[in-house]
Amino acid sequence: MGINPIEYRPWKGQRAAQNARFYVIARSILNHKIKSVGVIILLALGFFLVHVSQILTTVFSPHEGLEGDVMSGYMGDGILAVFAMLLAAVLTSDLISGDFANSSFVLYFSRAIKVRDYLIGKTGAALIVMGILCAIPPVLVGIVSIATQTGDDYWHSAGILGRTAVAGTLVTVFFVPYGLMISSFTKRKSYAAVGTFMSFFALTLVSGIFSDFDPAWGVISPVESLSYAIDWIFGFGIPTEIPGAGLAAFIAMFIVVPSVIVWMKIQRQVIGK
Amino acid sequence: MHLLMIGEVVHQSEDNKTSSSPHLSAMGVTVRFGPVVALDDFTVEIPRGIIGLLGPNGAGKSTFIKASLGLVSLDKGRISVSGLDSQLQYLQIRDDIGYMPEHDCLIPNMSSVELVSYMGKISGMSSKDAIQRTHEVLDFVGIGEERYRLIKSYSTGMKQRIKLAQAVIHDPSLLFLDEPTSGMDPNGREEMLDLIKKIGASEKTVIVSSHILQEVELVCEYAVIISNGKLVRQGKMEVLMAGEEDLQKLTVRGGEQAMTRFIDALAQVCEIMDRKEEGWNQIAFTVRGCSDGKRVFKLAHENGVQIRRFHPDKLSLEDVFLSSFKGGGAGGN
Repeated sequence: MGINPIEYRPWKGQRAAQNARFYVIARSILNHKIKSVGVIILLALGFFLVHVSQILTTVFSPHEGLEGDVMSGYMGDGILAVFAMLLAAVLTSDLISGDFANSSFVLYFSRAIKVRDYLIGKTGAALIVMGILCAIPPVLVGIVSIATQTGDDYWHSAGILGRTAVAGTLVTVFFVPYGLMISSFTKRKSYAAVGTFMSFFALTLVSGIFSDFDPAWGVISPVESLSYAIDWIFGFGIPTEIPGAGLAAFIAMFIVVPSVIVWMKIQRQVIGK
Repeated sequence: MHLLMIGEVVHQSEDNKTSSSPHLSAMGVTVRFGPVVALDDFTVEIPRGIIGLLGPNGAGKSTFIKASLGLVSLDKGRISVSGLDSQLQYLQIRDDIGYMPEHDCLIPNMSSVELVSYMGKISGMSSKDAIQRTHEVLDFVGIGEERYRLIKSYSTGMKQRIKLAQAVIHDPSLLFLDEPTSGMDPNGREEMLDLIKKIGASEKTVIVSSHILQEVELVCEYAVIISNGKLVRQGKMEVLMAGEEDLQKLTVRGGEQAMTRFIDALAQVCEIMDRKEEGWNQIAFTVRGCSDGKRVFKLAHENGVQIRRFHPDKLSLEDVFLSSFKGGGAGGN
């Protein structure tokens, strides 16, 4: 087997990077994700179908400045949300299910790592990749628009650019905790990916059926609620039939509840009983 | 001069305390998983060195290891590792512990270089140090160019070596090895035991949990035997394996009449405790009080029989293990 074994040599160095453990996890996952064929295809398709046409429109059509209605229409028309849903499902599918399948939790938690750091590392990597599709391109579109605007109200455009960044962050964050939660329910990556996407789809379907009777049901559709939230971020009101508190509660619940469930599940796994 | 002498005395006494104090101790530990009691009022003091943790399946060995790492919460009692509480200071404890789990736990889509350095970095090593140390420990465990291949293509023996490498990457002072030779071929087992000896020689405490008693007998200096979550027996190997005092094993071959004469003569000089016919005119005796070997050889010569074996009674670890479950007590007696 390979070279002849040598004597054991104790290590005399200092361990000084204890606070960077979550960064180590995030970097490792990021390295693997950006080499994944599925992720590359989704990023390329999403960029081409969602952002390229908007950049071209922005460059070639004369405009006075960056306008909220343009950005709201571009970010909230549903295509970006669908790609975000797909990418989140693919990205998060093996983040936790993989560790369940390989039993590699024990490798992490036999070391001095907290559940918090483990989850920050995993989530951080997914958010960075999500940001590449959902946050950075809209901001780039905004910058291109400002660079090619004919008017001189740059303060207004800068304000819209800020709102664009906030909306991009919301789209980036929106689907990841839910995907992580589904990933923590199974050992199979494929089940996690399909389960995540199908549950988004099921919520959209239920919302579509019941919205005919009461439009307030629109809030349980992830795509619809994200669209309402983006409109609100750009300063447009949400439709009067949609309860604002219900929308805020659904968005918070969609992000917070899955995060808590994942944390509890891993904590339980780590403690072992 | 006087001050220097006092300093030396103090330093020496501290060294003695460090080397003699237990590295790991459990006090009245109870762990339950629903109705199953995995550890039942378990109390043990584990010294430094290479320690064998023995017991049948479901005895509570792995639970004890996980409880020491803070991976299982205790229902009762306390586990102390290097003076730290396993439930309250588990992060400090884990920082200085290496754990090689029994089951498959490696990330299959990584190469061993990636995985071992990743674990080093998670243990708080800088990237540069982790990479350098990774190559050092992979050389140590005998993984050559295969280190750049994905782990999913490895044999079970290679995976065991990688599990050992990831456990020692950060050079912990206490190492838990859960069934380290599981699934390995005889050569691989021998090499793994050799690696364990080498690690133990560098002043580490290595706790080896194993079913294979011959392996524990080969590498361990101290053994702890657990059954049904309770400590059954513990002690230094030489104490555990020493037979009853003044008992000898004697194997003799000879004709029927010569043998009868020899047995009569032998009974005059020592007490025959047990006698077993082995066939081919050969009988194995367990005798007491025959420490004067010359006299026994003289008797054999006078009566025309051959002595094939004659040695003080010594137990194998298997004997100790089996006798422990027939009512042996704690303390190595």
